[in-house]
Amino acid sequence: MTDHFKERSTRDYHQKQLFSKEDLERRESLCTHEDPPFCNAACPLKLDVKAMLAAVSDGDFAKGRSLMEFISPFPEILAWGCDAPCRKVCRRSEIEESVNIPAIERAIMQHSMVPKAKGLLKLRKKQRLAVFGSSLFTLALAADMAAKKYPVTLYTEAEDEMDLMRRCADLPDEILQRQLPLLRKADLKICYSTIVDRAFLENEEKNYDLVCGAEYLKTDEVDPVTLCDDGNRVFPHAEKKYSPILQSFFDARRAAVSLERIIQRIDPHKSRPQEGETESHLFTNLTYIPSEEAVIENGVYSREEAIREATRCIQCECVECFRGCAYLRAFKRYPRLLTREIYNNTGIIMGDHMMNKALNSCSLCGQCTVTCPNGYDMADICRAARENMVDTRKMSLAVHEFALLDMLFSNNEGYLARKQPGHETCRYVYFPGCQANGIAPDTVYETYRDLMNRKEGGVALMLGCCSVIAKWAGRRELYEEQISFLKEEMHKLGDPIIIAGCPTCRSTLREHFPEVIGLWDVLEEIGLPAGHETLTNEVMIHDACSARNDAATQDAIRRIVSSLGGTVKEGTWSKERTACCGYGGLVSYVNREIASQMSEECVKEDPDATYVTYCMACRDRLKRQGTDAVHFSELVYGISADDSPGLSQKRKNRKQLKEKLLKEDWKEETMEEKPAFTYELSEEVRQKMEDRMILESDLLETIQAYRDTQMAVYNEADETLTTQHRIGNVSFWVRFQEEENHYKILSVYSHRMTVRTR
Amino acid sequence: MPNEKTYYSLEAGQNLVCHKCGVHLIKGNAVFEYLDNAFPVELPVCPQCGFVYVPEELAMGRVLSVEKVLEDK
Ligand code: SF4
Ligand code: SF4
Ligand code: SF4
Ligand SMILES: [Zn+2]
Repeated sequence: MTDHFKERSTRDYHQKQLFSKEDLERRESLCTHEDPPFCNAACPLKLDVKAMLAAVSDGDFAKGRSLMEFISPFPEILAWGCDAPCRKVCRRSEIEESVNIPAIERAIMQHSMVPKAKGLLKLRKKQRLAVFGSSLFTLALAADMAAKKYPVTLYTEAEDEMDLMRRCADLPDEILQRQLPLLRKADLKICYSTIVDRAFLENEEKNYDLVCGAEYLKTDEVDPVTLCDDGNRVFPHAEKKYSPILQSFFDARRAAVSLERIIQRIDPHKSRPQEGETESHLFTNLTYIPSEEAVIENGVYSREEAIREATRCIQCECVECFRGCAYLRAFKRYPRLLTREIYNNTGIIMGDHMMNKALNSCSLCGQCTVTCPNGYDMADICRAARENMVDTRKMSLAVHEFALLDMLFSNNEGYLARKQPGHETCRYVYFPGCQANGIAPDTVYETYRDLMNRKEGGVALMLGCCSVIAKWAGRRELYEEQISFLKEEMHKLGDPIIIAGCPTCRSTLREHFPEVIGLWDVLEEIGLPAGHETLTNEVMIHDACSARNDAATQDAIRRIVSSLGGTVKEGTWSKERTACCGYGGLVSYVNREIASQMSEECVKEDPDATYVTYCMACRDRLKRQGTDAVHFSELVYGISADDSPGLSQKRKNRKQLKEKLLKEDWKEETMEEKPAFTYELSEEVRQKMEDRMILESDLLETIQAYRDTQMAVYNEADETLTTQHRIGNVSFWVRFQEEENHYKILSVYSHRMTVRTR
Repeated sequence: MPNEKTYYSLEAGQNLVCHKCGVHLIKGNAVFEYLDNAFPVELPVCPQCGFVYVPEELAMGRVLSVEKVLEDK
């Protein structure tokens, strides 16, 4: 048998691909967080509308202007002449009138200044360009190429600047006037009053590396993507999809890209940036968006009006999975990025695995798969990554060892399987689950009594762990071993129907056993026992994440709560949208901080409410966090809940429950091995042990070892002794004072490193 | 931890005695090992039986943080 607890070597290299390239891409593509907002996708010039509106709503008109200047050399002309395809798809339009994007653009132009020319001039490129024509297309193309630092000469029939502007755009002189500074800044050589005829062209062409714009030269249809004819000259697009002004700017942009390719002797079809409108699969949740009346444009918006209208922008963004998941919020990465980083993490051979903490902090709860409009399954990715890290021996034992040993304790010292006394065969076996046994042994005891009395056909008992802990830890081999063990044990009991007391056990065991029902199902069938508690108040239900897709269980619990007299107040984050309490996926062992945030997340809708749970681990974690939480079986059997037991107490509880049942029902006495000494622990030391995950049994073993070997250090200053003992992969140290057979424990600590003299 | 041989010093007045051998501990050469990595250090050691003392501050401080770094290797 494999030794599952042998420490690995960091010098041992194994490699295994987590996902194939296609599989990775398929998974990642489900997260559309990076898709552009709809306005941006619809804009052929790819204006970052969202950023522009955010800037304006912050009163930063200069930033708004620079975003517009980025997409057009004459943004004000665009603002006046754009037919705004962005508006038609703006998500606000599904609530009321869409954001008036072009009106805000006009206001930006009105309320901001043309920035001064940048000090640092890029070196001019050497290829010379001639552009012929007097249209907005040729002007914009010339300006775009000049902006790319090519020396450009524009030949126009226009007599002067204003004449040129008038020929380019059918807009009031007042607006055109304002474009003149930009025209002068554009670094263009403009030859006015030029009669551009064939003779002139043929004469001038030889002086330039490239000429463009003159219709005379057109030899063929232009390509709809590159706007080139077969002589590599660029022309406006024949098909007019947008308003003339938008179309001209768009054509000029695409033509400029082609020209640059041609100059660089690259096929103009190749490696072009994304051009024109694109499709976006971004998800914008409109549920939480309040209605906001549109600001009427009367002339041009004042600054304040523009700001008000800009704040109507929803700032489209998909954060659906973030809303309910404390883990994703804490790691500040949406699933697509997180997946990529986790994937890369598994590929690292030597060096730091920076994402170990991340892949081990997901509760594997499956909530994101429900909240994401595309069903992103982060849990599956994190589980696969853990398995991969285990398989390649890159997962440290330290991460999950405590939990795994706890599982083995439940299936060894804490384990019990017996048929109901007086029954040759049992139709059922009650499987309360390791958490119930450790947290609420009295409730388990009562439940089993009741099942023996009232459920016909004989009910056997199995105290143990369903092995999900090994699965969560990514230890497949260990998991299989434990499942085989449970299978053999179930077989000895006559393969009865399993009555699971815990929804996680139920879903885990269901994968390996033909029939697994819930305790709640049985209670519904046989009715509530006498002596149950009566609820008088309104309660909320914290659904178990392992029952997320199990509507029948969710409903059964609600009916039981109603039969107990309680009124259920449904929250938004219940049933299939429920959050994990922080126990799932072993987060509470790996990342206590996030586990606490997860517990808080579960009760965020009403922290003061009473929460009925049906998983004992949920009950434990919520209560620990200060929530008024109760497990439904505690209500059913009228057993007032204990406070949350610590790690050592949970183990003791399991053992005591086993011994009590053995004694009372099967008349078997357990030989109790009492230590030959007594000891005392202050609350402070107890807490320290809890924080350091040191069990009382480790402490006792260490003291016993000291008694056997006398190995210790005596500190003359404070008259204390400190001893060390290694158990498994951990060295335990205990500082104490000894009085005959009594030990006053002053401190307990541990480390995993070994130490020796050299 | 490498290159940091003397990150624990026996303070004056802190008299540590090996309980078993009844002799004072001395500053001695020791080595920490974890996941196939070794770190030579100087620690209080019993000159007779070789008992190496790892004080609490060291275990919960430097040792723990080096463990964490190695665990992510
Ligand atoms: S819900 Fe999350 S995983 Fe799904 S698309 Fe949005 S950001 Fe991506
Ligand atoms: S709400 Fe804002 S970000 Fe969303 S589509 Fe409309 S303008 Fe664009
Ligand atoms: S904790 Fe749950 S909701 Fe969050 S990423 Fe993991 S599986 Fe998804
Ligand atoms: Zn000694």
